[in-house]
Amino acid sequence: MVEDTPLDPASSAALIAEQRAKVEAATDVDGRILFGAWGVAWLLGFGLLWAVDVDPPLVDIPRGTGLAAFFALLVAALAVTAVHLIRKSGGVRGTTAVQGAMYGWAWLLGFAVVATLGYALNRDGANVQVTSTVMMTVNLLVVGVLYMAGGAIWGERTQFVLGAWILVVTIAATLIGNPHMMLVMSLAGGGGMLVAAAAETVRRRRPEVL
Amino acid sequence: MGEDALDPVIHTQARLRIMTTLTALPDGDRLTFTKLQSLLDASAGNLSTHLRRLEDAGYVQVVKGHQGRIPSTQVGATRNGRRAFEDYVAQLRTLLTPPTDPSTPAEEER
Repeated sequence: MVEDTPLDPASSAALIAEQRAKVEAATDVDGRILFGAWGVAWLLGFGLLWAVDVDPPLVDIPRGTGLAAFFALLVAALAVTAVHLIRKSGGVRGTTAVQGAMYGWAWLLGFAVVATLGYALNRDGANVQVTSTVMMTVNLLVVGVLYMAGGAIWGERTQFVLGAWILVVTIAATLIGNPHMMLVMSLAGGGGMLVAAAAETVRRRRPEVL
Repeated sequence: MGEDALDPVIHTQARLRIMTTLTALPDGDRLTFTKLQSLLDASAGNLSTHLRRLEDAGYVQVVKGHQGRIPSTQVGATRNGRRAFEDYVAQLRTLLTPPTDPSTPAEEER
């Protein structure tokens, strides 16, 4: 920090603008990165599952390998998300931190329930077809609902609209059923996230004024 | 309004930057001392001095807490501090607006 030197109004204003930009860059969660990472993961992951499941398959690999690649893509997107959020929230305490932690727990417990459901379906003898449809729909239900809730909590329209879009696409995909529901999720779901990332880019171009 | 009207507690490079940083966060948020230090490129001693001045004025609150066993100091803007900063910015805006002369009637009114 510079030692105290006299300030004139113009340099005060410049200093405020510069420091605000610095704080924003250090703490602002960037939707372009988060939506972008998940958009790519969904586009490729669901796309691959579809290509493996269609008859005749477009990609000739065992279904297990396709699923493993799908989960690897999701884990990669999760890692990007975690690193980004940890980097941006580091050193910030108080209301926002508590809110973020609560929201994080909602995701964690939501997916814990979904994972348990997968186990229970298997235990109770559901076939692959039923398990696949249920797991897909319920996972997307959690994602869509939490995106909408997150948009409502932080007043972020892009996130809210994306959540609503995911749920609408999920309804369509569920009605269509396997294997083409995967293609719907890839193009409309993953594509929708990439559109959201692009919308964020446009939103961020708006200039800041004192 | 003269330049002397600007709040002297805020109107220095160091403290203006501190107040800008803390008020850029949503109400109720605090920064750890370390994070604040890194956002300001300040030395710990320098920062402490200015924080004390701001704390005495009631503009910031310094909370000494613990992060596990490691002591961690957190700093946030108080409600008074946010108000003072808003007033400061409003005054700045007035000072930077080119003066218009209300005593001269507009051309078309003559």
